[in-house]
This record gives sequence, structure tokens and C-alpha cells, in this order.
Amino acid sequence: MNILVCIKQVPDDSVEVHLNAEGKPDLKNITPVVNAFDTYALEMAARLKESSEGEITVVCMGDASAKNSLKNCLAVGADYAFLINDAAFEDSDTRGITHVLKNAAKKIEADTDKKFDLIFCGKEATDAALGQVGPMLAEELGVGVITNLIDIQLDTDKVTAKQETEEGYRTVESKIPCVVTVSKPEYDPRYPTIKNKMAARKKPIGNITMSDMTNIKAEKVGKENTLVNAIKLYEPPKKEAGVKIQEETDEDSALKAVAMMAEAKVF
Amino acid sequence: MAYLISEEAKDLLQDVHEFCENEVKEQCKAYDVSGEWPKEIYDKAIEMQLHSLEVPEEYGGPGLSRVDVAALIEEMAIADAGFATTISASGLGTKPVLIAGNEEQKKHVCQKIIDGGFGAFCLTEPGAGSDASAGTTTAVKDGDEYVLNGRKCFITNGGIASFYCITAMTDKSKGVKGISMFLVDAGTPGLSTGNEENKMGIRTSNTCDVVLEDCRIPAANLVGQEGKGFSIAMKTLDQARAWMGCVATGIAQRGINEGIAYAKERIQFGKPVIRNQAMQFKVADMAIKTETARQMVAHALTKMDLGLPHSKEAAIAKCYASDIAMEVASEAIQMFGGYGYSREYPVEKLLRDAKIFQIFEGSNEVQRIVIANNTIGR
Repeated sequence: MNILVCIKQVPDDSVEVHLNAEGKPDLKNITPVVNAFDTYALEMAARLKESSEGEITVVCMGDASAKNSLKNCLAVGADYAFLINDAAFEDSDTRGITHVLKNAAKKIEADTDKKFDLIFCGKEATDAALGQVGPMLAEELGVGVITNLIDIQLDTDKVTAKQETEEGYRTVESKIPCVVTVSKPEYDPRYPTIKNKMAARKKPIGNITMSDMTNIKAEKVGKENTLVNAIKLYEPPKKEAGVKIQEETDEDSALKAVAMMAEAKVF
Repeated sequence: MAYLISEEAKDLLQDVHEFCENEVKEQCKAYDVSGEWPKEIYDKAIEMQLHSLEVPEEYGGPGLSRVDVAALIEEMAIADAGFATTISASGLGTKPVLIAGNEEQKKHVCQKIIDGGFGAFCLTEPGAGSDASAGTTTAVKDGDEYVLNGRKCFITNGGIASFYCITAMTDKSKGVKGISMFLVDAGTPGLSTGNEENKMGIRTSNTCDVVLEDCRIPAANLVGQEGKGFSIAMKTLDQARAWMGCVATGIAQRGINEGIAYAKERIQFGKPVIRNQAMQFKVADMAIKTETARQMVAHALTKMDLGLPHSKEAAIAKCYASDIAMEVASEAIQMFGGYGYSREYPVEKLLRDAKIFQIFEGSNEVQRIVIANNTIGR
């Protein structure tokens, strides 16, 4: 089982982000971390690898600072890591990003002479939350996609996955190779062991640039070639102060809450 | 973080911080009330290998410098001092073997820890606290075996250890020179544990009696030579004390963190109380003490790493850090006002946790004797 996991480095999602004077997210002093859904994807991939043997390669598009995130991935189950970094890729839209990811995957496959059986992505990134990379990468690669996984099982030539829905889950099968995007499974990602972390720091991280990818189309990547542009960013409206309802009994509190909602014509 | 640590340790520190924030800090509140030993938290810590930081590299440990390890232990102590104590006391239980044991014994105890076990150091007895020569536990040689009898008390990790380093009299007539050190595995017939202490603080660490009733062990389990047990125990404590200073510093740091966070939020007379210089000076004094304690811990540990004498420095580190942990915890409560006295808030626990650090592994009165002897000369 040869697995590729695509990760994104995002600002720590436990910190509230505000816009700066230029109207851009002020990310100063916010620690970059691996997107939470990508950590779930890596954990699911690591468990699959441990149950069926195989190798995991992790790729990340980003600047040199993302190497740290890749090292963290090497400490929790990944075997190889590549940073995809080129000034030409900066500010690409999702179409550009998935085009680069496809070509990076193809390059790694050619260099190692091994095809990827499964490609894992988080279902979305916690910063922009577009949720497009997985499905669009599948489109680029011409393979199937299962989104919002919470569990996966491997048979000889197919995967059976639990796909999260609003009501529960449904079981979906796909031939491999395919792309899967991962939601929050029942388990948490593992912590790196001290020794794995120390070993990960010493592992090499490959670098992939524009010139390394022979079939990449320059007209699809970079700021000049985006099909989708964010014109302006807005901060979420501040929550208004709530009303505290504390009657003598719980029943009275509930009745008052319902009465207030009726008055406000919520029903 | 004020310890000067390697880039590697800085990376690990982030992981340990995240682990403690997610798995230790909040969870320990309930165990502080119940007094139950939180096995599930320790299982997770073992999985992450946090319990084996002090195992030497040649026996499967990570090979970090002592100051690097101290930064990680302090992070654990910031989350919960009992948690850090369990892990550090396991190092204490291992040290007699690392100091004076043979190769086979060293491999044996280190492997026990790597496999997820803890060590325990058994010196104190009901009638022998600071005066180890008053110990009544005996070890009598019988062919290829020793037979141990006696009762040890206040043994950290006593109820959960995989192995014990136990002092016992092999020749009562020689006083401390008649004390020997023995390595006893958990599960050895004749070794049992009892009377779990219901402690004031560090309630997530296990403290109990270790009872020896005709406990037969192979003669090969003697650590070092007969009659050297007291000297091994003192060398063990000389090292371990600095680690207790490290944990006490963590308690103090938590007090600072909590105090500042609260004083920024608490509004009185229309402004956060942290804007009052009285509060700022309090924080400054807490920081002066805590930082000084930390650097003394670092100095003692650096001397250990360099193979230099460190008895005085370790005693100063332990004594000073535990004294100021009490002061800083008390000041943190003061910063919280009435809320600080409430168990709903996190600072009263710090005072309860800090107290034992002035007492165990040599009371601070004994530390002052050590410091005085090393300063004045005998």
C-alpha cells in the first residue's frame, strides 16, 4: 500500500484571527500548525499502513517554514516528506494548487517507480475551509473520490469507507487508486514519541520546484492565472451579548425562554 | 522558556506542552479531588515515552542533556506537579543502579522503564527519616540469596513500580556503613505494598508503604558492594534533588502564569488589577524567585552532565526552588483574592503541591546541613 497524504500548514485554529490594516489576516505571532483535518488524514493513513504494510509520503505546498510541519508528520507515521515550493506557485487558486499537487505526485511516482494506491487529504483546511482540494485533485488525476471519511478499510483492489453524513454515515466503495478526504474520526491523532520526533528531525525533506515537474502548465498556476479571487475579507460579526435566563426552577426558565422566542417571532 | 536548550528539545517541548494541555492539566483536577492514580494519563505519557527521558542513550533512552530534560519535566510540572513527580521519582528509583550497579542490572532496570514501567526508591522507614542509620530493615545472606525484612514508608511510586531500589542493614553494628542497596523486582514473593497515603498535595502521584516479609532475592541483586548502600543512596539523592527543584520551579511558574492571566481579567475600580503597581511588583518578585530557582537547577544539572561535583548545587536548587514554590504559590493565591482560596480555582492546589518539596528527598533542613558542610567544610 503506497499512500500519499497532502497536508497544508495553517495558522493555529485555536487562536482568533483578525484582519490587519491592509484587510488581510494578521497572522503575526500565530503558530503555524498542520491543518487539523490533515492530521486526521495522516492518522487514518498511518493506521491503514500499520494494518496492511506500506509506506506513506507526505507533501505540502508552502514556504520553507512548512518543513517543520512536514517533520511533525514524519514523527507520527509518514516515511517520506516533500516540500513543494516555488515562487511561481504563490497565491494560486485551488485549480492551480491541485494541478501542482498532481504533478508533484506524478514526479514522486516516476522517481520511485511506485504508483500511489491512495491519496489522503483533509476534508477542508481550517483557515479558508473551501473543501475543494480533494475532489479537484481526484479530477486532475482522473480517479474516484470519497469525501468526509470517518473510517476506511482496504480490500485487494478497493477501499470501503464510512462517509460521514448529517444523519450518521453511509458506506461507500471505490476502486483504487482513489482520493479520499477525511473528517474527524472517532480517534485522535497520536502524539509523536520522543524518539520518533528526534529521528524525524534527522530525516531528509525533499524539495520539489516548478522545474522538477515536466508536465506542469505554467498558465494554470500563480496569482496571474487564478480563476477565483477573493475580493475582500470580512471578520465574522461580533456576537451580541446574550440574555441570561435563570428562573427559580428549570421548568420556569424553559417557559420564559420559549415565551421570549415567541415574542421575538423566532417560531 | 528560560532554560537554554537544544533546538531538538525546543521541538520536543512544544509536543510536551501540547500533550500536557490536552491530556494532563484539566484531567488532573478530578484526580486531585479523588486521589486516584490516573493510570490512563500515565499510559498515554508512556506511549509518548515521557517516562523514559532520563534513561541513558546506551540503554535505549533519548540521549538528551539533563537541562533539555529539565525543560520537559518543568513543562509537565506546570500542568501537574504530581504527574511530574511520578515520572521524576522513577528516575530516582533508577539512579542507584545507574550509579553503582553492574551492566546487567543497568540493562534490566532501563529495559523495565522502556517497556512502560516505573522505578521506586525505598530509603525512608517509619523510624528513619532524616536519620537513615536508624533503619531497621534487614538483609541476611542465605547461600546465593538475601532475605529482606522490614517496612519502608512514604515511597513514591510504591504501589505502581516495576522495580524497587531498597536499602537494608546487612550489618547493624556498623550504622550507616552497614547499609546495603538491593534491586527487587515487583512481584517478588515477600514484597507487598500497603497503607497508601492520603496526601495533602501531589495527589496524582502514588505514595505508600513497601513491606518486606522474608523477601528472598538472588545475591546478584545486591547493588554495588555490601555496606555501600548509604553512600549510593546519598549520591542518588545528590542527583535527584536537582530534579525536585525542577518540579518545584514548575509549580512556581504555574503560579505566575495563573496569577497574570487572572489579574489581566479581573476588573476592580474600572481597570484590570494587573495595572496596579502593587500587582506588578508582586509578579516581578515571583519572576525573580522562579527564574533564580530555574537557573540554579540548570547549573546543578550542567555540573552533573560535566561530571563535576554537584552536591551543594543540587541541595541549593532543591531547597531554594521548594521554598520559593511555596512563596510564589501563596502570592498567586493572593493575586486571586478570595477566589484563590476556593478549590474552584487552580492556585490553592499549587500551595498544597509545593509543600512536600520542602520535605521529601531530604528535608530543607537537611539540605541546609549539606549546603553548610559544603560551604564551611567539615
